[in-house]
Amino acid sequence: MDAIRVTHVTKQYPNGVLALKGLSLSVQTGEIFSLLGQNGAGKSTLIRILTTYLRPTSGEVTVLGRDVVREGAAVRSRIACAAQQVSLDSHLSLAENMRFQARLYRIPKEEGKRRMEELISAFGLEEFRNRPAAACSGGVKRRLDIALAILSHPGILFLDEPSAGMDVRSRLTMWEMLKQIRKEFGTTILLTTHDLEEAGCLSDTVCIIKDGREAAQGSPEALKSVLRRDMVCVQFSSGDEARRYLPLFLEEFPQNKPFVRDREIFWNAAGGDGGIGPAAAFLLRQRLPFVGVRIARPSMEDVFLRLTQEEMREEETTWTR
Amino acid sequence: MDTLTIFRRAVGWRFHNRITIAVTLLQPVLWLVLYSLTAGPAMKLQGIENYTAFLFPGLVVLVSFSACGSGGMMNYMMKADGSFYRILTAPVRRGSIVLGQMLEAVLCSLFEVAVMAVISLFFSVKFPQTPGRLALLLVLAGCGAFLTAGLSYGISLALPNEMIYETAMNALALPVFFLSAALFPASQAQGVLSILIRLNPFTYLIGSMRALMLRGEIHPRETAAVILGFLLLGVLAFRWSAGLLEKETRR
Ligand SMILES: Nc1ncnc2c1ncn2[C@@H]1O[C@H](COP(=O)(O)OP(=O)(O)O)[C@@H](O)[C@H]1O
Ligand SMILES: [Mg+2]
Repeated sequence: MDAIRVTHVTKQYPNGVLALKGLSLSVQTGEIFSLLGQNGAGKSTLIRILTTYLRPTSGEVTVLGRDVVREGAAVRSRIACAAQQVSLDSHLSLAENMRFQARLYRIPKEEGKRRMEELISAFGLEEFRNRPAAACSGGVKRRLDIALAILSHPGILFLDEPSAGMDVRSRLTMWEMLKQIRKEFGTTILLTTHDLEEAGCLSDTVCIIKDGREAAQGSPEALKSVLRRDMVCVQFSSGDEARRYLPLFLEEFPQNKPFVRDREIFWNAAGGDGGIGPAAAFLLRQRLPFVGVRIARPSMEDVFLRLTQEEMREEETTWTR
Repeated sequence: MDTLTIFRRAVGWRFHNRITIAVTLLQPVLWLVLYSLTAGPAMKLQGIENYTAFLFPGLVVLVSFSACGSGGMMNYMMKADGSFYRILTAPVRRGSIVLGQMLEAVLCSLFEVAVMAVISLFFSVKFPQTPGRLALLLVLAGCGAFLTAGLSYGISLALPNEMIYETAMNALALPVFFLSAALFPASQAQGVLSILIRLNPFTYLIGSMRALMLRGEIHPRETAAVILGFLLLGVLAFRWSAGLLEKETRR
């Protein structure tokens, strides 16, 4: 059974804004599912519908087999959500927020305590535990917000831009946590993100939403292979070295626009003489101290840009028509 | 169970915003002190021995309106900090959310009534000596606060922002207060005014409390009617509010 099934959903806000325009998607039980999309694409609107806060204007939405409109209460008992806007009781301390959440989800006292300690240490919140939420920094509040959502061990966990405003370390911790609770409890996780790397390496399935509709859905690998835009990449022993040799590459493959990322020089394999063959010949001819050569698949970033830029191209054509 | 959870949280909110208790007490206490001092002597001529005691039941209503009014304010703050969304998407019945917050508003009202009672002791107000009568006084005050709490909650959901809400609450509280024989005996009113006063349920609540405080009288049937009537109205206000809360997620 699909954990979430969304069929031809539209949502018009009372002020007339049409935020979803016939969106369909399905999320399998136990997977990590990422929604990608530019600001205003309708990601948060979809999450508000899935968490029973808003009703769809038309279309059908089932969560864990229950209709979100008719069986809202049943859905609510099996989900938890950390919204885009951090939603804490700002006057309560972090620990009090957690205790309240535990009572709200009827977690037995001892069990609630155990989970609370676990989350506090996992999210590095020890030093803030007795501080009122209002007096904490944005990053700390965000971590607490996510910890609260995890506390009830929901069947489906919704996270709307969880990594916004998080430092690198807490983000990595969060990824680990998400993978762990998925493994331990079979939790289905639906998150939205701006971070393409996050979507790519964390999720089983990525859905790119564009303008209130799904533009593409599939595993990160499948989405990347759609592009068929491979990159040639030459690795050096250090970033400095890569940068030192970049001008040579720019001269040799001007059409392919080489650039440095980490300690590698990349360029688009398609077009010009940029293929792996010419590259190998060039490297041998110049006797450069490279460490390796490979063909790299496109990143999520490339996929995303391509899919969302198409929209612009369409717009351009409509403008010029 | 859920109601208790919400109630405890609301108590925590109030404790944190202790200033609201002082602010909501200020006006009724000023009425109590200033009216006792200025109008007391004139009223004595009219046969009202202790005007502070006479005034007290009306101020109980006034204090409920301001305490419960700031309870409704909590909804705006919760919407602003997002906890409103968190609670609405948690497995808690809408009724429990409303009831928990209403009961906290009732508790706060009763606390403020107690503070006022202590102050009025300085104006030689004699409260009923038996525990039974004191309890009855509290029950009457609580019934009034229950209705007020239900109305405040619903109004806070119905109106778009705090400013309009506060204006509306004042526009409701002042007529209810003035048209309820809070300041002078109902028998003195005439014409349209007396009809309005008789239509106002708070008139009867104040009447029952006043009979108890001034003369130690309990009219069992009237008092029972007042309690049941207010509970009924309170339940209606509660249902209305719970309906509005349900609607919050039907947009
Ligand atoms: N409460 C609201 N009322 C009216 N319009 C809204 C509301 N929330 C969002 N919108 C509009 O709906 C569209 C989708 O917004 P949203 O779902 O927040 O997108 P995203 O989360 O992908 O950035 C935007 O055009 C936004 O302006
Ligand atoms: Mg959003």
